[in-house]
This record gives sequence, C-alpha cells and structure tokens, in this order.
Amino acid sequence: MNRPYHAAPLSRRTVLKAAAAAGLVQFTAPFVITARAADAIKVGMIDPFTGVYAAVAQNELIGAKFAAEQVNAKGGVLGRQIELLVEDSANDVGTGVEKARKLIERDGIQFLIGDVNSAIALAIAQVSNEKKVLHIVSGGHTDGITGKDCHWNVYRVCNTTKMEANSVAELLFNKYGKKWHFITPDYAFGHTLQEAAAADLKKYGGTVTGNELTPLGTTDFSAYLIKARAANPDVLLVLPQGNDMVNCLKQIAQFGIEKQIHVAGLQQELESLEAMPPEARVGIWMFEWYWKQPDVPGVDQFVADIRKRSGGKVPTARTWFGYTSLMSFALVANREKTLDGVKLAKALGDFELPADVKLQPNKCYYRKGDHQLMTSAFVGQALKQGKSDPEDLFQVDAIVAGDKTSPPESETGCTLQWPA
Amino acid sequence: MIQLLLFNVTNGLIIGAFYVLMAIGLSLILNLSNVINFAHGGFLVIGGYIAYTLEPYLGFWGALIASPFLTAIIGLAVERLLISRVYGRDPLYGLLLTFGLAFVFEDGTRIIWGAQGKPFTIPAFLSQSLSNEFFFITGYRLFMVAMVAVMIALLFLLLRFTRAGIRIRAGTLDLETVAVLGVNARALRSLNFAVGIFLAGLSGVLAGGQLGLEPTMGAGLLMPSFIAIIVGGVGSLVGTLVGGLLIGVASGITAVVLPPASEAIMYVLMAVVLLVRPRGLFGEEGMLT
Repeated sequence: MNRPYHAAPLSRRTVLKAAAAAGLVQFTAPFVITARAADAIKVGMIDPFTGVYAAVAQNELIGAKFAAEQVNAKGGVLGRQIELLVEDSANDVGTGVEKARKLIERDGIQFLIGDVNSAIALAIAQVSNEKKVLHIVSGGHTDGITGKDCHWNVYRVCNTTKMEANSVAELLFNKYGKKWHFITPDYAFGHTLQEAAAADLKKYGGTVTGNELTPLGTTDFSAYLIKARAANPDVLLVLPQGNDMVNCLKQIAQFGIEKQIHVAGLQQELESLEAMPPEARVGIWMFEWYWKQPDVPGVDQFVADIRKRSGGKVPTARTWFGYTSLMSFALVANREKTLDGVKLAKALGDFELPADVKLQPNKCYYRKGDHQLMTSAFVGQALKQGKSDPEDLFQVDAIVAGDKTSPPESETGCTLQWPA
Repeated sequence: MIQLLLFNVTNGLIIGAFYVLMAIGLSLILNLSNVINFAHGGFLVIGGYIAYTLEPYLGFWGALIASPFLTAIIGLAVERLLISRVYGRDPLYGLLLTFGLAFVFEDGTRIIWGAQGKPFTIPAFLSQSLSNEFFFITGYRLFMVAMVAVMIALLFLLLRFTRAGIRIRAGTLDLETVAVLGVNARALRSLNFAVGIFLAGLSGVLAGGQLGLEPTMGAGLLMPSFIAIIVGGVGSLVGTLVGGLLIGVASGITAVVLPPASEAIMYVLMAVVLLVRPRGLFGEEGMLT
C-alpha cells in the first residue's frame, strides 16, 4: 500500500469531461428475457425498461407476455410457439435502432413491438421497414408514425396526439373556459400534442395565452408556473408525461394554483396518478384504456389474470397496449396462415379486434389508409382517492370511439408505399 | 414584468440553494479524495427512498433525521470496500468506479422499490403557500432553504473549529504532508466521504418531499451540482455555494425571457466562466492543474 496520495493530479479537464459524461448516466445496459423453444416464432419487443419511462414500459411487457402465454396455451401461431425476445432501448434513439437491427438481423424475429418513446418508435420503424418486418408501435403517440412518416409495415395501437386532443378539447372548452395556457414537453410528442390542442381551441374560438416548452426530465416547474399564473388563463394544460407530469402537478398543488385556474390535460396514465400524492390528482383528462368497465364482458377476467402476473397491480392502458400488439399479430397470422410480412401487413388493414382483445364497448379496428388503431378515448376526471379500490383513481365520464376522435385518413398526411 | 423577474430571482435562489446542498457534498469528496463521485445522485436517491420506507414508522421528521445517517453508513461501507481502492490511482479509475456504481444504485432502486414513482408525503402545514401573492413560496420550500442554510453553517463551523475539520481543510491542500505529520489519512478520507454522503442523503429526503421519488431522479439533479462546482471553482466550498445560487438565479431569469433555454443557460454560464476565469470564480490558481 505504498501508493502516493495523489498519483496524478486531477486536471480541470478531467472534471469537465466528467461533467460532460454525467449526462450519460441515464443510459444503462440492456437485459434480455428469453424463453427459448425449438422451432419457435420469434417476436421482438423494444421498450425503455431503464430511464424515465421504465414503469410504463414494464407494464407493456406484462401485457405482451400475457398475450404470448395465452396464444401459446391455445396452440401458438400456425402450430408453433411464440418466443418473446425483449430488448431495452434505454430511452435512447441510437440504442433503440441498434437493438432493432440486432433483433431482426441476428435473432431473426418475425414481428416487432415498440417503443414507448415517440422518437425511438419513429427511428426503429425505419429499420423494420427497411428489413420488411411487420411492426406494431405499442406506445409512441406522435402523429407522424401513422401520418407523414407512415410505412406499409408499421401499425400503431395507442392513440395519435391528434386523437387525444380531439377527445378532450371540446369538453375543456365548454366546461372550463376559452383562455388556455400550455406546459409542453419539448420533444416530438409534446409538440404535436400541443399543436393539435391549440388547433382545436382556435376552431372553437378560444385563445392561447402562452406555451411553456419544458425540457424532458425537468424537475422544477416553478419558473414556468409563475409565468403561467401571471398570464391568467382559464385553463392550464399540463402535457408532460411520466415523472415530469408528477413533478409538475405536485408543484401545482403545493402552490395552490389549481384553486385559481382549472388544471387539466390530455393524456393521463394510471402509472402517473399512482406516483402522485392525493392533492395533486386533479383535472379532466383522457385515459387510453381503463380497467374498470363494469358493462364490458371480458374486462374483469383480464384484470384478474393480469393481477396474478403483476404482484396484484391492475392492468393500465400500457398493459393493454402490449397485450393488443402481440394479440393482433397472432390473430392475423393464424387467420391468414402465413408469416409473410407483406401479406400480414395487407391483412391487418381493416382488421377488427375481437371482443376478448379489444376490451372496450366501441368497435376497435386498424384503419387501412394510415394503419392507426381506432381505439376509444376514456374521458373523465382524476380522483384524489380510489373509491372501491386504491387503484381506482379515474372516473370515466364518456368513452368516445376512435373514429370519432381521429381525423379522416385523407388528413393524416400518410401515403403508404408498398413494396413492388 | 419587473414583478415576474423578481419572482423568478427569488425562485432561482430557492432552487439554487438545493443545488448547493448536493454540490457541497460532491465538492467535499472531490477536494480531499480527488474522486469525482458520479454515484452522488445514486446516494441521493437512496436517501430519499430510505426516508420513504421509514416514514410510516417514524413520521416525516423521524425519517428526515434517520435517513441521512443511514445513507452515510451505506456511503461509508461503499467507501471502505470500493472507493478507497482507487485512491492514489489515475482519476479515471475513480470515475469508472463511481460511474458504474451510479448504474448499480439506479437499477438496485428499481429492483427494490419498483420503476414506478412513489409519492412521499410531507406534513400538511408545510405543503401550502404562505401567501396568495407569493404563491411559489411554500412552507416546504422555505423549510428546505432553512435546512440548507443550517447545514452549510454547521459544515463551515465543523471545518473551521474542529480538529477533524481543520485536518480536512489541510488535507485538501496537501494530504501527503498532513499524513506525514501523523494524521490518519485513511480515517480522514472516510469521515469526509461520510459527511459528503450525509448531505446527499439529506438532499434526497428534501427532494423527495418536493418532487416525489423515482429511480432516475438522481441523474437529473447531479448535472447542476457539477456545474455549480465548476462555476464556483474546484477546491473552494464558498465557490460551490455561490456557483449553485448563481446557476439557480440564471436559470430562473432565463425562464422568463427564453423558457426553452432555461437549462442551457447553466452550460452557457459555465462556458463563460471557463473562458474568462478558467479556475472558476473562487478557485485558487494551481489548486488542480
């Protein structure tokens, strides 16, 4: 132990380089879950299992795994078992693309699911398109995926931001008032969501008092909230997701802003509401799926099945996304009796989900022109405390069908280029 | 506009105070042990989650006191088992080690407490605004600033008037000579590391009350602390204090004028300081070459 106390003096440059590298801390190493089976059909799933969207990604995985389990129990796809290969995009576009290439080129998957992050979903859709692999985007909402950046092989289960805005905007306008102020996450998803809501507001004759663009991962929203309150709007729309939304709503509640201005938003998720203290659970929102639908057959059974696989937690919209993505592939492949990407992609256009998969009252189908699932919006209010169950934190007031919230195919900007 | 600016300057000071608490701990460790502790954010998260776990039994106040001590004990164990092995080696070893530890802490937190965020409740009387006009000054934020002020005062008293504190300061300048004079450098470094981690644990509890808990929260809070150290000058605790407050205010003012740049302004400030005064505002020439 004769080492000197300071062998090499720490240079200022080292400190600087270290600071630069600190930004990389969120990108962690991958992990793979495999259930190897001979002659299995390989299905790839890429989601951000580390980073800020880890909780929602985990729920998508629970749903996809349950779907694989159900499909395999009923004889698999074309008589072969499904093997789910899971990769972590670590919430990073480069990592996601690398994983997509690995799954397709090395593992030889037949079908791809993912990603929660819109930017990664867009990027891996390029890869799946280039490799002609059928791909369902489970949870990335930005419009382009089934809009101007659409591909013949890419479908989407979750809503577009336009659908989300359309489902709530009119209610907010009529109930809360016409001057809106936005807090918007500064990336693809946030921009399209805010633009869609602002366009609706303009149509109804309202005004935007301001739009605060907040970087992804903002922890302190006080400066934006000070500005928003000074603008004196009727409604403050909180658009960030995940932990950012939790932080923002928590600060809104601490500052008492919700007592002076109506606080609301568009997309809300059970994962976020559960991470908030009761006083922060306020406002009108839309859920993309909700676990309490007493009149819809099959939902209670689905909830019970998921609870057995998630340590007692109820399924969220994310669980349903993962489940529906994999089920869509299995159902269409079994119906068409093929694994050919082009044939399956053609067949999924106008494919309607059966009752035991759609788990909602309205008709639920993929649209031929843009490959978007016409799924319902569950519009309602956040509840401070669960009534019958601690996880019942949302009161659904209306379930609006997807083809009512979605703009017509002609307005999505999507032109599908099929391979020759 | 003037009112908006004034609000944001005050608000920036509040945020800056929090950066200071984290940065001071980081700075203490860097100064004496020459280790850039990337795992500092991880210790912060652990501090927050320990408080969350203890709160049902000890209440908020009990958790606030107990958690930083428990975090410091974990810190001490990590220092003895792992970090002490890289002392005296090329700084890159320490960098890699703590970088790896940061991942271990983040994933460990996820495995133990789950990926989904947890709400951490604070006493009701603290979670309200003090006045309608100054709605952004809540009891809890004032309490946070007060805690930071008390901790920093205690730390400066410790460093100025206690034997261990004087040794830490002397060691910062020249640990080899201090050791030759008969001071147990190994124990000194451990004590210093534990104090730094204590502050990280306390930051974690305070941040948990303000923001809620989430496994990745440490990474986001680590960056401003690094910038605070660089702006203030490596080697100077006063510099870190001023640096933290400065970036808080700068980002507060920018939020009024150009909101999307409110985060980038910290880096701009760092770049300007490095160009004009490379040693940092309070850094001593030749402190680090």
